[in-house]
Amino acid sequence: MKPLKIIFLFYLLSCTSKSFSQDTAVSLLSMLEKELEANKDMTVYTTATFKTTRVINGHSVENVGKGVLDAKISHRFGNISEGGYELFGLDKATMRMGLDYGITKNIMIGFGRSTFQKTYDGFIKVKILSQSRGKVNMPVTLSYIPTIAITTLKYEDPSISNHFNSRIAYTHQLIVGRKFSDKTSLQFMPTFVHQNLVTLASESNNMFAFGIGGRQKLTKRISVNAEYYYQLPSTKLNERTNSLSVGFDIETGGHVFQLHFTNSQGMNERSFISDTKGRWDMGDIYFGFNISRVFTISKKH
Amino acid sequence: MFKKPIILLFSLILFSSGVNAPQTMYTVGAGSITFSSDAPLELIKATSNQLKGIFNSEKKEFAFTLNVNTFKGFNSPLQQEHFNENYLESNKYPRASFEGKIIEDVDLKRDGFFRIRAKGNLTVHGVTQERIIKCELTIKNKIVSVKSNFTVLLADHNITIPKVVHEKLASEIKLEVKAELIDK
Repeated sequence: MKPLKIIFLFYLLSCTSKSFSQDTAVSLLSMLEKELEANKDMTVYTTATFKTTRVINGHSVENVGKGVLDAKISHRFGNISEGGYELFGLDKATMRMGLDYGITKNIMIGFGRSTFQKTYDGFIKVKILSQSRGKVNMPVTLSYIPTIAITTLKYEDPSISNHFNSRIAYTHQLIVGRKFSDKTSLQFMPTFVHQNLVTLASESNNMFAFGIGGRQKLTKRISVNAEYYYQLPSTKLNERTNSLSVGFDIETGGHVFQLHFTNSQGMNERSFISDTKGRWDMGDIYFGFNISRVFTISKKH
Repeated sequence: MFKKPIILLFSLILFSSGVNAPQTMYTVGAGSITFSSDAPLELIKATSNQLKGIFNSEKKEFAFTLNVNTFKGFNSPLQQEHFNENYLESNKYPRASFEGKIIEDVDLKRDGFFRIRAKGNLTVHGVTQERIIKCELTIKNKIVSVKSNFTVLLADHNITIPKVVHEKLASEIKLEVKAELIDK
């Protein structure tokens, strides 16, 4: 009896220890995963809400990285409805050359020169909130962008006394954006435009607009973007329309190509938000592109 | 008559639990993993210091993992973004891991220097490959130091390189792992 009992016991024990070892073999990785999951004191910031710092004409919630210089060249061709003689607008073009620079992760500056109305523009973009999860859970990104635009066309009537101030316009923009999924991002842009000089005394110098922009990724490197600015009718200038643009972002390494159709010819905030004259329903559609190329100037980031 | 088997049973249970005693389990105290892509036009390097690992010296089993989005370095912030967005897709596949067993029949409970081969499943970008990876182990005063250099083929893990960056991205990525595991 006795030796049998002991053998039986040994058998039982060897069984239990065997199953025990198999359990640990499976669970080593899951033990680690649990540990990683428990380690929630890290904040993960959402990146790549948009591929570049512009949706189409206007700003996106994206900033360029710290120490990164972004050279942008944008073209808007002529009116597509001009037909074959003008090669559907391609014979004419207005352009904007611009440089953006990231001072910190959250602050960038930029300036540009547009051929349209010979305009110089400059802006600061400050990211106030960054969408994140983990320790800090923030559902949206919030940016504030004040811009200034100065037109330098010759004064229409040099015989009267003209003031330099009359060339200046300011815009203030808030952007609230959220990346809903890997592919879908949406943003809202309440905007205020102040123009020192408007054509008619009956027109308002202050204009309010509400913008909406978004992107949907089609593949890893191509997305379709759209952007619309609704101007408050009571503050809108005469014979102006709301800016609507639709286009594609194509990314190749350090370049982003944006190809789009828009009813706006201007490429600074004042001109496309408050001074768009084209009408989609009349065929006033301009084909255009933005090319962005980033250079890393300072390597400390 | 009755007492003896019970004592025997208890002592056996104690002994058997001794087999799985905690002193054979080690976890990563400090670990880093560095990758480099050496392409004709560009050298890209990034490091993560967030390597987690666990090692059972008795059974010679191990598991290592890390969050892919903890890699830092790169040549530009945009590159880091593309790494997470377009190549490793770290939102979809947040972790990379390697788990398995040491092939060599060596006694890892004593101090010493060992050149061993680790056989296991390497998971990167959601694709698991069985790999045998050479490692150097140094065990001293209950601290296990691991060093390993190996390579990963991007194609093995379903990471595609677009034509325009062929000259800037190597198809074979070099990895260097350093970890110090301490008694749990």
